[in-house]
Amino acid sequence: MSSTTAQSGLARARRGLAPGGPGGGSLDHPGNVNRKSKLSSQTRRTFFWLLLPSIVLLILINGYPLIYAGVQATHDGSLIDTGNFVGVDNFATVLSSPAFWKAAQFTLWFTIVGVFGSWLVGLGLALLLRTKIPAGGTFKVLLLLPWVVPIVVSSTAWNWLVATPDSLIPSIFRNLGLGTPLFLADPHLAAVMVMVFKVWVSFPFMMMMISAALASVDTTVYEAASMDGASKWQQFTQITLPMIARSTYISWILMTIFCVNDFPTIYLLTGGGPVDATTSLVVLAYRSVFQDFQTGTGVAIAFLMTLTLVLVSVFLYRQIRKSSVE
Amino acid sequence: MNVKSEASHNFSRRGFLGLTAAAAAVPLLAACGGGSSSSSAGGIKFWDMPWGTPAYNDDAKKITEGFSGANSKASYQTIQWNNFYQTFSSAIASKTGPAVSTGGGFQAFQFEQQGQIAHADKVIDALKKNGQFDDFLPGVLEPFKSDKGYVAVPWQLDMRPLWYRKSLFDQAGVGVPTDWPSLLEAGKKLKSIGAVGFATGSGAGNNIGNHLMIMMMINNGGGVFTKDGQLDVMNDRNVEAIEFLLELVSNGVIDPAAVSYTTDNLDAQWKNKKAAFGMYVLGLPQRVGDTSGDLLVASPLAGPHGDKAALVFPNNIMMYKNTPSQEASEAFLVYYLGQLKQLWQQKLMNALPVFKSITELPEFASDPNNVKIVKEYQPIAKTFAAQGSSLNANLAVLDGGQALNQFTQTILTGKTDAKSALTAFQTGLQSVLKK
Repeated sequence: MSSTTAQSGLARARRGLAPGGPGGGSLDHPGNVNRKSKLSSQTRRTFFWLLLPSIVLLILINGYPLIYAGVQATHDGSLIDTGNFVGVDNFATVLSSPAFWKAAQFTLWFTIVGVFGSWLVGLGLALLLRTKIPAGGTFKVLLLLPWVVPIVVSSTAWNWLVATPDSLIPSIFRNLGLGTPLFLADPHLAAVMVMVFKVWVSFPFMMMMISAALASVDTTVYEAASMDGASKWQQFTQITLPMIARSTYISWILMTIFCVNDFPTIYLLTGGGPVDATTSLVVLAYRSVFQDFQTGTGVAIAFLMTLTLVLVSVFLYRQIRKSSVE
Repeated sequence: MNVKSEASHNFSRRGFLGLTAAAAAVPLLAACGGGSSSSSAGGIKFWDMPWGTPAYNDDAKKITEGFSGANSKASYQTIQWNNFYQTFSSAIASKTGPAVSTGGGFQAFQFEQQGQIAHADKVIDALKKNGQFDDFLPGVLEPFKSDKGYVAVPWQLDMRPLWYRKSLFDQAGVGVPTDWPSLLEAGKKLKSIGAVGFATGSGAGNNIGNHLMIMMMINNGGGVFTKDGQLDVMNDRNVEAIEFLLELVSNGVIDPAAVSYTTDNLDAQWKNKKAAFGMYVLGLPQRVGDTSGDLLVASPLAGPHGDKAALVFPNNIMMYKNTPSQEASEAFLVYYLGQLKQLWQQKLMNALPVFKSITELPEFASDPNNVKIVKEYQPIAKTFAAQGSSLNANLAVLDGGQALNQFTQTILTGKTDAKSALTAFQTGLQSVLKK
């Protein structure tokens, strides 16, 4: 095979075509080009009309609330009455509010700890479960429980574990001579507790994502690396992490969205308190709309959150594409 | 391809597209249509909250469905407390809401502000004619009168009495507090036996701590508003009340973890004989499953200036403008108020009735706690509007809003002084209250 033929063969292989091409190369025949474009045009038109009802529905279902939210964010009304147009006043009010920046700061920490904490725990457990341990399947199911159990149930359970000085965990601390920490009453401890709770709820999702990615890694690669003298750490950093990078970025995007939008984890455990120590942006938006009845400012907060999430998602999506190319 | 097959081909494609468009239009039209009135098969839609046990809603449903007046019938719907304001708002906005409803204590005033409430003056006239008007306990009707008319009609009183566990006071060898100094002294002695001298909480979803703050202010002759409804957070009586609460916190009379206590945590404290004294809801013994007689209502405390006051939320029934017949709505409300007695006869309510005749029922009066609340608390009870008396929409923002909750939590953590906390509270309220 000449060099030209080999290159052509590789190119065809990358396109997924057999040496002769589909139909014995009929698509490459000049006489078929017009028919192809004519067919495409007809097909496209048919597809368009077939898709139109769904597109209209999607625009109405997604577009209407978005437009209405935009209207609310620029008005001073309530849930029933739109009120008067106030331009960007609501956004200015939100951005000049210390409560907003405090909530933004907590949301940032909550998201960082939630994403990377759950990823680290999930990664560790996925690697552990990859090794042959007895009753591995049972462990997998048990480890999924925090993700499967309704958040109302798990938050109630956590409340009972830590809420009062007589709860189990503070009692253990007391018996160990470490004082009686008020896990939900102290602002700093409450913030830590909410983040730990989030990691606990989320690690099974990460574990499953990483387990799926690890399953596709060929074990002979590790054998080859081992024969070449690579240490376990080198195998982990040079083979495992790059091979699961795509899944990792996807799971980070998803978990970032889950964390920023997470309402029940925080609200059920602490209600955003004490003294706003665990108030995230989504909790602040909820309170503004449904407790203070300030619909405009609440929706403005939601808009700012959405904008931030889109930017973060675009950044992480670019990382995925980069990792795919590499 | 022959002519027939071409026609058939076109027909089937266009026909399919047409059918698809028609199918897509059905939900759209349904969504756009909404309901044009609060009719259910031409009757009155009554929305009610879970005020007591599930048996309460069953019985309220029976009462509702027993209505047949003004050529109309009525249907019953239970609305859960979670996001109830959103439920009502979206239903009212889409004109699928109720014609008559119970709801949040200040909900009627919020919807009146938005032009959705039908005033109840004709209902009051009808109650005057049938004699029920004179049966109202003193002072329960006035808060609902605005300059446009009666915004709603009260049907039960959600009082916040003080409760105590007798056995814990006996164990501590101290008397039940009658004023603020004795509350502090008793609290210290109760703490020495591991009990909580003034139980409260302001964790997720728990408003008891918020209510305690306001109760202590009005118990001292203060309050958040002036008599003419102006914001007046920084008055001396409020400062004095909050200083006293901070003293209770610093002495450990209020549980240091109370800031995070949910109602479940608080219930557990009362049930597990940890809480000795505190403000809580009616029916505490039944709520925590201890009807041994150890949990009793204490007399209202006297403030340092001799003031006595209690906190009450007069719950009400409101009518909406979106109704198939205003006459039927009014007839239904008069009918429903006339049937309330059976709810207390069957012991389905954890609230005080608004009618004297119901307080005299043997089923109600057989509970000494009930009798004490009616006798000692109801006459001195004030609403969130204190020192004013008329309710208004701003009280909903005060009751459930962030300003009061943050203020309460700041006090319960004890890391503040009264004036700073009250100043922040006033600033927070000013930013959200409608002028």
